[in-house]
Amino acid sequence: MINSARQQRLIDEAKALLKQGKVRWIIGFEAGSLKFTTTPLITADAGDTSRLVINSFIVNNLSNFLPELEGRIGIVAKGCDSRSIVSLIQDSKVRREDVVILAVPCSGLIDLAKVEQLIGKDRDEIDAISRKDDKVIVTLAGAKREFSISEALYDNCLACELPTPQEYDILLGEPILPSNEPAAGQKKLDELKKMSPEARWQFWKKELERCIRCYACRNACPACYCQRCFVEETEPQWLLPIPHWQDNLMFQITMDIHVAGRCTDCGECQRACPVNIPLRSLTKEMYDIVADLFHFKAGMDKEALPLMTHYEQEEAEDLIG
Amino acid sequence: MTVTDISRRKKFFAQGNAYVPHIVVIEKIIEETPDTRTFHFSFKDEKLRKDFIFESGQFAEYSVFGVGEAPFTISSSPTRRSHLECTIKRVGRVTNALHRLGVGAEIGFRGPYGNGFPLDYLQGKNLVFIAGGIGMAPLRSLIWSVIDNRDSYQKIDIIYGARSPADLCFRYDLDLWGRDKTINLVTTVDKGDEGWSGREGFVPQVVEQVAPSASDAVAIVGGPPVMIRLTFPVLKNLGFAPEQMLTTLEKRIKCGIGKCGRCNIGNIYVCRDGPVFSYAQIKQFISSEY
Amino acid sequence: MADKKINKRDIAKLPNEWCREFSVLVPSRESGTVAMTRWDGKDIGFLDWYRNTVVPPRDSFLPLIEEMFSFYKDKDGYNIELPPPKEQKQLIFGIRPCDARALAILDMTFNDGYQDPYYLGRRQNTVLVGIGCTKAYDSCFCTSLGNSPTDTTGVDLMLTDIGEDFLVEAITDAGKELLTTSSLSKATEADQARAKVSEETARQKVTRNIDIRDIAQKLRASFEDQDFWQKVAAKCISCGICTLLCPTCYCFDINDEMSKAQGVRCRSLDSCSFPIYTRMPMENPRTEKWRRVRNKVCHKYEFYPMLFDAIACTGCGRCIRLCPVNWDIIQIIESVPTGA
Repeated sequence: MINSARQQRLIDEAKALLKQGKVRWIIGFEAGSLKFTTTPLITADAGDTSRLVINSFIVNNLSNFLPELEGRIGIVAKGCDSRSIVSLIQDSKVRREDVVILAVPCSGLIDLAKVEQLIGKDRDEIDAISRKDDKVIVTLAGAKREFSISEALYDNCLACELPTPQEYDILLGEPILPSNEPAAGQKKLDELKKMSPEARWQFWKKELERCIRCYACRNACPACYCQRCFVEETEPQWLLPIPHWQDNLMFQITMDIHVAGRCTDCGECQRACPVNIPLRSLTKEMYDIVADLFHFKAGMDKEALPLMTHYEQEEAEDLIG
Repeated sequence: MTVTDISRRKKFFAQGNAYVPHIVVIEKIIEETPDTRTFHFSFKDEKLRKDFIFESGQFAEYSVFGVGEAPFTISSSPTRRSHLECTIKRVGRVTNALHRLGVGAEIGFRGPYGNGFPLDYLQGKNLVFIAGGIGMAPLRSLIWSVIDNRDSYQKIDIIYGARSPADLCFRYDLDLWGRDKTINLVTTVDKGDEGWSGREGFVPQVVEQVAPSASDAVAIVGGPPVMIRLTFPVLKNLGFAPEQMLTTLEKRIKCGIGKCGRCNIGNIYVCRDGPVFSYAQIKQFISSEY
Repeated sequence: MADKKINKRDIAKLPNEWCREFSVLVPSRESGTVAMTRWDGKDIGFLDWYRNTVVPPRDSFLPLIEEMFSFYKDKDGYNIELPPPKEQKQLIFGIRPCDARALAILDMTFNDGYQDPYYLGRRQNTVLVGIGCTKAYDSCFCTSLGNSPTDTTGVDLMLTDIGEDFLVEAITDAGKELLTTSSLSKATEADQARAKVSEETARQKVTRNIDIRDIAQKLRASFEDQDFWQKVAAKCISCGICTLLCPTCYCFDINDEMSKAQGVRCRSLDSCSFPIYTRMPMENPRTEKWRRVRNKVCHKYEFYPMLFDAIACTGCGRCIRLCPVNWDIIQIIESVPTGA
């Protein structure tokens, strides 16, 4: 189904859900105020649903908003977002019966930072960006340039394991299968792994020196749902609220451990970062470790018990011993 | 004097780097309640000991070096200058660290900051002091200053409450005030114990019962935000105009000098424009920002 | 007019000359984002790509982290040591008009009452060389705030793109003293005319507008309109981007840092978007997100004008460009109810 048709279907479904009182809220995307940008639309008003969009720039993981709203919610979810929803359900942060999942099969989102690199221009200087099959077409000053998706999609989209939500109530469009080239999404991580520990340490030092401790990575992350984060504790004070790079690293590592088994590799932490710190390299490594050690992938299996908050009796000895 | 003059901006500013504290030495510690202590302290620098001036209601930033700074009102009176006092409840990182200190320990002190109570506005009036818990600290400074200039004021009512008898601060002062024939002292606790024969009830209710006259009076209210919020309507019913109700507000203050931003209520900065306010000044914001 | 001009080919001669006396900062991608960084003394390639920094130049005056003083304890008790004053003067080359004006707005707070020695010390020690904008971002809205892409408020020297040359205009005495290099030639009337055209062209490129008439009154009237504030705050994720990277935001925190016997009292930038910002042990007046959003908007457009008669926003657009959820201050300001 082409975008415009499924967008219309989304609008119709969302409108009906609100009108029939089946949900109190709709969370979706509407056109943003800047080029190639969408913005979360959180509304209780059926009239607003005509503004809903589906395109290659619906970047936010909207499940982030679920725990703060009251009442039944209809939510637009890409594959990765649906995994976060499932994970939130497993952690009892959201009840399945309180969400209506409007599933959007997703063939990957366009990474504007990559496009800017490829073109050498800022996003607002570009005329058009479109997607055709496995190509991304960028129009600049009337001239078209084609790029392969491996050049222009987000790394986490290239590595996507669930383009089509498994858990949903309404499916918008035909299911999409995972791409055959997850390696492309692993490039940055591979580069880092090839470095000597010293070089890697220096790399992260440089990256985290520019962290401004805005906590956008944490706040954009649906897996980071603690009401009170450890960084805000003062007795004891785990972390100084001064953004020295060592403390920034400490923050990232701790956050990473805290979301292990909850992180769905949605990539929001890295995308939210205003100073381009490649945070997904940390979270994806943890994601892979969790997959290797525990054969666990967050949000893939609704019936699975949450990884870090349950244990089997036979684990007890090892854990304590 | 009009009410807008009440929080007149101080034209007196310490010279030099306002962020650098002076060193003061703790001379005595009084256990007020299980979680509250009064520290008596003096400047290490002899000249400052002589020159330092402040007004009742003003506050200072106290620091435990290596732990951090926190703002507390000066709870002693400017009329009694042998030393300074501050009364601190153990609630967080800095206050816990302060409570771990003993006599002889050095702490950082910078101030005084804020506006203080408008003595010229209060003179010749009936004063109604209403305090809850540690909210008595700034009022106590003013009460002593008023007592030391007793002839300049009319009637004095003091209504002071705490959660329990053990939570009443400044009992040594309450004894003296209770014996002073020129003062009407009413103490109350939310819930008494076996030894308690006084009143029971929340401060706003007791104010309602005591019903101080609003005529030519000013009420000065100090306490937790919830108590302040509930006391204003009671006073209003007793006929107090917004200009006749003063309070001292507590906010998270870091710099103390109107720069760091966090203590604002609307366009008012508590550290710089307060902490003493009339209800007339803050009534627009008090319901939703305080 | 005594304005000068310099050919774009020769532009490197300017910082070359200046760096004898000043520590020269230029826009750079060195750190992995765009920030004012110490000039390497070689090229000024930034002119090819530079539109504005991500980290505002405010960082050179009110840095993310700053040592206020250090302290140590010996047998006589605590001692306090101030950091040594910076001897070398600083020159920022390439500051944009919005950011220069932002510094003028920050001066109001740091000059008011108690003087802030750290911020003001750097201000007095720094010369600002502005470069007018030629291509606005789609998030820029400086013209709505009485600013312009070539405005000279706050700069000492201003460069305006007039094709092959930059028109070089001294705005202050400090700016005049920078005009000693022999590479400068006298600007003609035609150059002045070109600058006018350039200014107008740049102005046209600022496409976003807001109507700020009566905005303070509207905000005041809408202060208690909880529905409105809840609605505009709904998608905010309460991160600190729009404040920490705002050129007119200045909130800070003060903390101690210990290493063995020596301690440092630091101030670091803080954000009113964080719930902890106003958290007291027993209460917090702004636990709810809409209250924090309301404070942020009102501080810029209502409270700051009440205090200093200036809106604390210069239309640089960073808060819009960098927001992870495209929370757009223009749309918020536009939608404030009239209060009628």
